[in-house]
Amino acid sequence: MRRTDRYRFYIVLLVLVALQFTVRSRLGDDRVAPDFLLLALLIYSIRAQPGKGAAAGFIVGLLRDALTPASFGAGALAHTLVGYLSAWGKAVFFAENLFVNGCLLFAGTWFRNLALALASGQLKGGMLGWELLVWSPLQSLTTSLVGMLVLWMFKRTMSMRLSDA
Amino acid sequence: MALGADRYASRADALVFIACVVLSVAAMGLPESWRQPIARGLRATVLAPFLYLQQQSEELRTSRARYDQVVAQRDSTALAAGFAPELRNENARLRGLLGLGQRLSGGFVAAEVLHQPEPTNPLTLVLSAGKRQGVQPLAAVVSPEGLLGLVSAVDPNSSVVVTWAYPEFRASAMSEDGSVFGIVAPHGTEGPGVWLLELRGIAYRQLIPDGTQIVTSGLGGVLPRGIPIGTVIGLAGEAEGWERTYLVRPAVHPAAVTHVMVLTGPVARSGDLHSAFTAMGEAP
Repeated sequence: MRRTDRYRFYIVLLVLVALQFTVRSRLGDDRVAPDFLLLALLIYSIRAQPGKGAAAGFIVGLLRDALTPASFGAGALAHTLVGYLSAWGKAVFFAENLFVNGCLLFAGTWFRNLALALASGQLKGGMLGWELLVWSPLQSLTTSLVGMLVLWMFKRTMSMRLSDA
Repeated sequence: MALGADRYASRADALVFIACVVLSVAAMGLPESWRQPIARGLRATVLAPFLYLQQQSEELRTSRARYDQVVAQRDSTALAAGFAPELRNENARLRGLLGLGQRLSGGFVAAEVLHQPEPTNPLTLVLSAGKRQGVQPLAAVVSPEGLLGLVSAVDPNSSVVVTWAYPEFRASAMSEDGSVFGIVAPHGTEGPGVWLLELRGIAYRQLIPDGTQIVTSGLGGVLPRGIPIGTVIGLAGEAEGWERTYLVRPAVHPAAVTHVMVLTGPVARSGDLHSAFTAMGEAP
């Protein structure tokens, strides 16, 4: 593993974070547009150890909670679960394959929204149903499509394990 | 490169995970007086450059939209310049379109809404204006259509708005002609009435016809009088013989708003803004 690949990996993550705060608002409905920040977390955690994935998820979630105080703490919990489970699940179950990675990104996004909705307790009944059956799948789809594009474009850089570097 | 078995969760991984879960649950249980300083601290430090980036991006998008608008207006004006009477009419129309801002006589701060992707985004919104721009806690936040919510927390360059959809939102309200008074609250998050408001506490003998506009009453001194809240669309329920509750379709949907005005100055405390919003509706 070349050292430059490691730098490229983190640069790609930084670009995703920047896209979240610049481009995302121009990509249509907020509930459907891809979540670049979550995508960066998922790409990081499926390459990292579960503990690091959980810690990264907690930090990302806490920062997002500061921007949506209606569900303070729920975001940290949801992102911690997603970070840990994606790192653990990828290590245990999944092979290195673009389509499988796409499915993992889809599931991770949908599960984040499920955990956030349940933990915050703000969404119930019909609103929760719409969120989980309509908006979350659409957002998961756009997020996983962008994720697969990123993984395909930076195939070599993204195939690294963080423990190798 | 294939992933190896060395990345299965170790004891250290499990401990980190448990610690993060415990901290998250503790954060959820924090009282409101602790949450706000933590959230404010994060927004003012780690998130400040990202919020600045998002604000610049929104301004850039707005600038482009305004540029297109200006080009369109310039073309229209060039066409109208050939006909002096038409030009006069055009000028009158443009003056009329200057909108709500002028009628508020400067008693407001304009701000962009920095939307977030979470499902709970419409309940609380982050604005691009804060204390330095003159925003104060409990200030009313409006769009040209009506009331969006109240400022709940103020940072130096940003602020947090609790929208009318937030479960604990309440506003003193009245019918447009001032004959009926009540309290407006979110209808709830279950059933077909999601994203509607309720007008509660209406005396049983007072009937409100469908289509009646509901505005803020100014009672309580938090919200100024006369800001449109929504339109009555039907009866939600009644307590036997003594009060009725009406369903109200909100004037503004939080997810659809991109730019807002935060009311400041004397008009935000004691003014009657009904004429400003009425004039907005009557603009050509």
